[in-house]
Amino acid sequence: MNKILILLTLAIIAAIIFLVPPIKGLGDLAKIIFFHVPTAWVSVIAFFASAFFAAKFLRTRDFSFDVLSARAASLGFVFVLLSTISGAIFSKLTWGAYWNWDPRQTTIFVLILIYGAYLTLRAAVSDEKVRAKVSAVYSLLSVLTVPFLVFILPRMYFSLHPSPVLNSAGRVDMDSTVLIVLIAAVVDATLIFIQLMRRDSS
Amino acid sequence: MTKSFGSRCEQIAAIVRKDFLIGLRRRATFAAMMMFALTAVASLSLSTGGSFVEPKILSAMLWVVIFFAASAGISGTFDDEAQACTLPTLKLYAAAQAILFGKMAGVLLSLIALTTFILPIFLILFDVAVENFFLLTTTLLAGLVGLSAAGTLTAALTTSATVKGGLFPILLFPVTLPIFLPAIALTEAAFTGAAFEASALVVIAAFDAILILASSILYDYL
Repeated sequence: MNKILILLTLAIIAAIIFLVPPIKGLGDLAKIIFFHVPTAWVSVIAFFASAFFAAKFLRTRDFSFDVLSARAASLGFVFVLLSTISGAIFSKLTWGAYWNWDPRQTTIFVLILIYGAYLTLRAAVSDEKVRAKVSAVYSLLSVLTVPFLVFILPRMYFSLHPSPVLNSAGRVDMDSTVLIVLIAAVVDATLIFIQLMRRDSS
Repeated sequence: MTKSFGSRCEQIAAIVRKDFLIGLRRRATFAAMMMFALTAVASLSLSTGGSFVEPKILSAMLWVVIFFAASAGISGTFDDEAQACTLPTLKLYAAAQAILFGKMAGVLLSLIALTTFILPIFLILFDVAVENFFLLTTTLLAGLVGLSAAGTLTAALTTSATVKGGLFPILLFPVTLPIFLPAIALTEAAFTGAAFEASALVVIAAFDAILILASSILYDYL
């Protein structure tokens, strides 16, 4: 599994460098978008995974779920940082500023805050049982903000962020090579996340 | 059903009364919260030096002051019980839900007291003419309800933490952000008298309800 994953990742990197046409007017650095989208995707997936395992822990009181929930959060924290930095670079290229509190930037920043708060809480509680309970409850409490951040906030404020690949018109506005490489990169990042979740647990 | 609901309400009222009496005897927490708010407003007003501050910034500052003063005041909601080891006894007397809602009501009352104290000072020091007082009151009240619901559960979470300083606001802020953003926009509209979006008020109210419900469900697992 590991070797296949490394090969797949290398192939995707090669495709991004050689196969994908340069983005008009933005230069080669704009290809960072192929890094930004998958990491952003994984940071959201990891957030839900952490909450899912937290709920499982509270129902079963099985500590292995607590371990999984914590690991998803730590991985998610790394991915969300990578995604934010790559997003800021892309933002500088396209909008001219690294940061301007676009709704999407607000959302991802809140995600950083939540991950950070969750990990700080875990570090602050020394008793293992209490730590598991308390962090699971916080994980589920923080998930409540997701509908607001995803659905309500972008309606309240104007956003410059490009719409998702599948936009409201139901039409794909993308070159097919670009789209295939992007989807492959997202799948690859998800597999890397799953692999990292599994490897530590064994 | 009615009887159990009635006794539940009695328990909640008794817990609010108990916390209020203890709070009166040991005024430190309450005084600290008020003084924190006063210090924050004074430092903000001093540093702007009487120059004109935009209503947008003003409303944001008001909510920042309320948030951090509330954090200072309500983070220890469960700490006294934990230190004195009275929480198990309290749980013998009242149902867990009654304890949660009793504490929540107490927190809400102290936050209302905080706001009643700090709002006039804020308005005077920054020379704000409130155009829509009804909107301001409604927004503040709706915001405080959500703040106390999330704050009470967060206080229960941080009780067992070894590192206390700063942890509470870190945990509370992301959870209450869906309340703050519309609340700041509405407060600005109340200051300027501009037209406001009623949907923002609905968002706050809906999120209040979600937070109260979630606290109630999650508290049982602690």
